[in-house]
Amino acid sequence: MVELRKRGLLTAVICSDTFRHLAQSQARVFGAPDLPLITIQHPLGGLSLDAVGGRAGSAIGQTVDLIRDYIR
Amino acid sequence: MSNLEALLRKQSAIVDHEEDFEKINQLFYERGWGDGLPVVPPTVPRVERMLEYCDRPWHEPIAKIAPRYGEATPLRLAANAVMAGCRPEYFPLVMLAIEAMCEESFNLYAVQATTHSCAPLVVVNGPVAQELNIHSGHAAFGPGAWSNATIGRAIRLALINIGGAVPGNGDMATYGSPAKFSYCAAENEAASPWEPLHVERGYAADTSTVTVISAEGPHNVNDHESTNAEGILKTIAGTVATTGNNNVRNAQSDPVILVGPEHAATIAADGYSKRDVKRYLFEQARIPLNRFAAENIERRIAVKIRAESPESGVYIPAARSADDFIVVVIGGAGKHSAFIPTFGHGRSVTRPLRTNDGLLAKSVQEFRRNSQ
Repeated sequence: MVELRKRGLLTAVICSDTFRHLAQSQARVFGAPDLPLITIQHPLGGLSLDAVGGRAGSAIGQTVDLIRDYIR
Repeated sequence: MSNLEALLRKQSAIVDHEEDFEKINQLFYERGWGDGLPVVPPTVPRVERMLEYCDRPWHEPIAKIAPRYGEATPLRLAANAVMAGCRPEYFPLVMLAIEAMCEESFNLYAVQATTHSCAPLVVVNGPVAQELNIHSGHAAFGPGAWSNATIGRAIRLALINIGGAVPGNGDMATYGSPAKFSYCAAENEAASPWEPLHVERGYAADTSTVTVISAEGPHNVNDHESTNAEGILKTIAGTVATTGNNNVRNAQSDPVILVGPEHAATIAADGYSKRDVKRYLFEQARIPLNRFAAENIERRIAVKIRAESPESGVYIPAARSADDFIVVVIGGAGKHSAFIPTFGHGRSVTRPLRTNDGLLAKSVQEFRRNSQ
């Protein structure tokens, strides 16, 4: 993901809020501290498919904002 | 002032009161440098003594440790080995184990950062185990042996302090593990009726190796009743065949079977080779599909694939092949063995002990700077 970012492509990582700190650290380690993180509520495992759909839904708005900012 | 001290002072890497045990421990704890237990202050003289058993340049990284990908230089590793309480002659094994677990196939990033409770288990084979008095018999996993305890701890400290496996950040283990303090033992080759692990993997018996395995703590297998191989192996197979362990659930499964010497003798007396043991466990350590919850069958890839395999039918094996089982003999007297579930996302790695010129080392003394 970081490699794609470095090539100028719009990229993002989806992570749950509990793992946000780890994701930020990793982005820094790999030289892309501004890598966008789309955050969903933890957990993702052990959910009904409807609840998984809800998590996906919460990511859509963030993704759209990201694309909009990129186009601008 | 020694060269090392001058260098460290230039880098502002020396703190005041470095020999004050209480102050240093308070400082290190506040900075998150450690495992929660007191450490030996890594003073310049102590680090220099550790580096006497290093034949490589002190500042050249031997690996980068995930998830921070911190550079594991001999100097940094030596500081961690001092903190752990290592004797200097243990240092070549600390370096070797770190190199082994940084091989890509081991998948150290995932081992360090996962919510699973795995920690790198270090198994030592060959003459170096005896030379360093690494215990392989009673209480091989502790307590009691200076070498086992501190080599394992030095590795763990390096994983935390250099690799960034800080609990709740780089280490996301749900509940952690006692194995994350120290997890190191030698194979009890003298008590084993079979070829040792490193010979199985293509090394000569007189070659010293470490094997690193991403593993949970040992789960005991008690069998005081069986008088033959099949009885003992049936008990072990029953212990392995549990629905929640990672070996059943994940693709790269390499479950460890730690066979106690008394069990090993009984099994071998019935003519079972190590290969036979693995084949038996592959065939018998299987779980009826109906013991898994429906959603587990549907959502767990490994379970799903194995359930759909015409070979497995309605029974799910604990690994993809007999060869994936790791069988080692460790321990002392007693009718006990152990199942050590592994992480299942990566492969164990065996590395031989070599000096910097690439030659196999017969003794850790070959690493001494003043021996050159």
